[in-house]
Amino acid sequence: MKKREQSSVIEIKGLYKDYNSDGLAVHALNGIDLSIKKGEFTAIAGPSGSGKTTLLNIIGGIDRPGRGEVKVAGKNLNGMKRGELSDLRLNSIGFIFQAYNLIPVLTAVENVEYVLLLQGADKKERRERAESILRDVGLERELKRKPAEMSGGQQQRVAVARAMVSNPEIILADEPTANLDQSTGSALLDLMRNLNKERGITFLFSTHDSMVMKRAGRLINLRDGRIVAGKK
Amino acid sequence: MRGSENLKLVAGLSWRNVWRNSRRSFLTFLTIVAGCTLIIFMRSLQNGGYAQMIEDAIAPLTGHIQIHEKGFQDNMTLEYAFRDDRSMIEKIRKTKPVKEAAPRIYAGGLLIHNDSSAGAEILAVKPELEQRITTLHKYILPGGRYLEKGDTLAIILGKNLADNLGVKAGDTVSMVSQGFDGSIAAENFSVKGIFRTPNVMYNRTLALIPFRQGSETFSMDGYISSIVIRAEDTDYVPAVTERVKEIAGEELEILPWDKLMPEILQFIVMDRVSSHIFVFILYMIVAFGILNTIQMSVFERIRELGIMLSIGTSPVRIFSMIIIESAIIAFIGIIMGLISGAALSYYFTIHPMDFSAYQAEMELYGMSTLVYYAKLKASDFYNTGTMIFFLSLLFTFFPARRAAKLDPVRAIRHL
Repeated sequence: MKKREQSSVIEIKGLYKDYNSDGLAVHALNGIDLSIKKGEFTAIAGPSGSGKTTLLNIIGGIDRPGRGEVKVAGKNLNGMKRGELSDLRLNSIGFIFQAYNLIPVLTAVENVEYVLLLQGADKKERRERAESILRDVGLERELKRKPAEMSGGQQQRVAVARAMVSNPEIILADEPTANLDQSTGSALLDLMRNLNKERGITFLFSTHDSMVMKRAGRLINLRDGRIVAGKK
Repeated sequence: MRGSENLKLVAGLSWRNVWRNSRRSFLTFLTIVAGCTLIIFMRSLQNGGYAQMIEDAIAPLTGHIQIHEKGFQDNMTLEYAFRDDRSMIEKIRKTKPVKEAAPRIYAGGLLIHNDSSAGAEILAVKPELEQRITTLHKYILPGGRYLEKGDTLAIILGKNLADNLGVKAGDTVSMVSQGFDGSIAAENFSVKGIFRTPNVMYNRTLALIPFRQGSETFSMDGYISSIVIRAEDTDYVPAVTERVKEIAGEELEILPWDKLMPEILQFIVMDRVSSHIFVFILYMIVAFGILNTIQMSVFERIRELGIMLSIGTSPVRIFSMIIIESAIIAFIGIIMGLISGAALSYYFTIHPMDFSAYQAEMELYGMSTLVYYAKLKASDFYNTGTMIFFLSLLFTFFPARRAAKLDPVRAIRHL
């Protein structure tokens, strides 16, 4: 049982990713080898352009690997079709974006419900689970507010609720605190850490905020598309 | 997820999307409603116009269907006659939806009055039946009357023919012709009335005498030139023609109005071609209106679609969602458009456009139809609805495919 808990949910071997920018090849990732175990609370740190977002996008299946092997939740992403990647994102991965990326015309509870809607949950179950998780992140009063009517911190908490509601194995967060003030960012980090501990969800997030780095269970340093250092 | 559940989910999302941006959806509705209304209205005006044109052309004399001896239509002489089979006429009269059927005798002859003479087409008819088949009796000029049952040596003439002969109601004209048996057919007739129809040819050449007199004068010996039939409505003519063919058999030629007056059908076909072009343009306006609004809606939602893709919405669902959005808008728009098109058309069915005040001017240009009304046809509803629905889906295909193929990473960054 213990061995199973420690199994890798993310396994990356020799990952390369190049972009073409105005005719120039940009090497976003230069041979990444990485293994993330279930229940880890890992931060990827590095300056802008170091490849953090590209790495998260590839792990999340919204970008394609160039070379190398990427396994997420036991599935090899190489050669997966778009529809299969969608299913993986829907059922195994939760996303938290720097810019919140909520659906602007839906209310907080509808944004969270949307994922359950895609999973085919019935209306009553959807509403109950969405409201419950929004209460867990302290948004019981904002259920019917649209994103534009909420603060950045509140929007990001809706994004966390949306990422969690489908009980994913992994939550990927791309600089989740970057647009928040320090206290709001800290509170969000507390929330994520608690969810990590209580529910055993694996968190992998990018950051260049030193406060976030200090509170990470594991820190991976990325520079010019390479892992330069890591600590537990 | 099962297919039906998936469809329910996608349809539910589409339904919400349609009402989310009600202004955009309203604009699309408006395009479809306007297009449908215009097409239905135009089609029904055309139907009414054609029906009236056919009616105006065939009503005075031709009737809906005529039965002749084979070869009569090409030669138009007395020789092409067939035996007057009363039981056949009675069978035809009892066939539904036949309104009336009557025998006729047709001959060419010379009409003479004092020093004037003119060639004429002489038609011997049964006035009491003929009045239920044709409308010539409505065009009798004041001071005269139509033929009546019991008339013997009575004749009515076209206005121009009467003018050429210099006769008026009450005068006597002599008629000289050849009988069916080859004998000389000559008789003096009393002019009972003069008619002026919208058909100039009838006014110039036509003369009507009573059937019994015609049979005697032309020595028909129980033979007739034709049986003229009127159906309850022009639309029933094909069906009635088939039934009449069964009754009359293969020996006789049975010609519906479009064979008797093919020039009308040719005009309608020509007019339809130009109207098809106009309707095609209307369809294209609607189709490009839909393409434009759906394109806009996809473009406005690129980021949102990127988010949806990122959090697990499959490309197939995105594609289906946009197609169903368009289908919902099209369906509602088509229903509303068909209703408003029907309402507008119905108004012009009960309040036809009447150009009687311009009769003289219109006749100058050969236009005898003075009243234009709208006539709704179920097939126009079906065709218009189906076509717009199909075009809506076809023209949504491209923006929907574009949405489904969005790169989530780029789409999320789209402002």
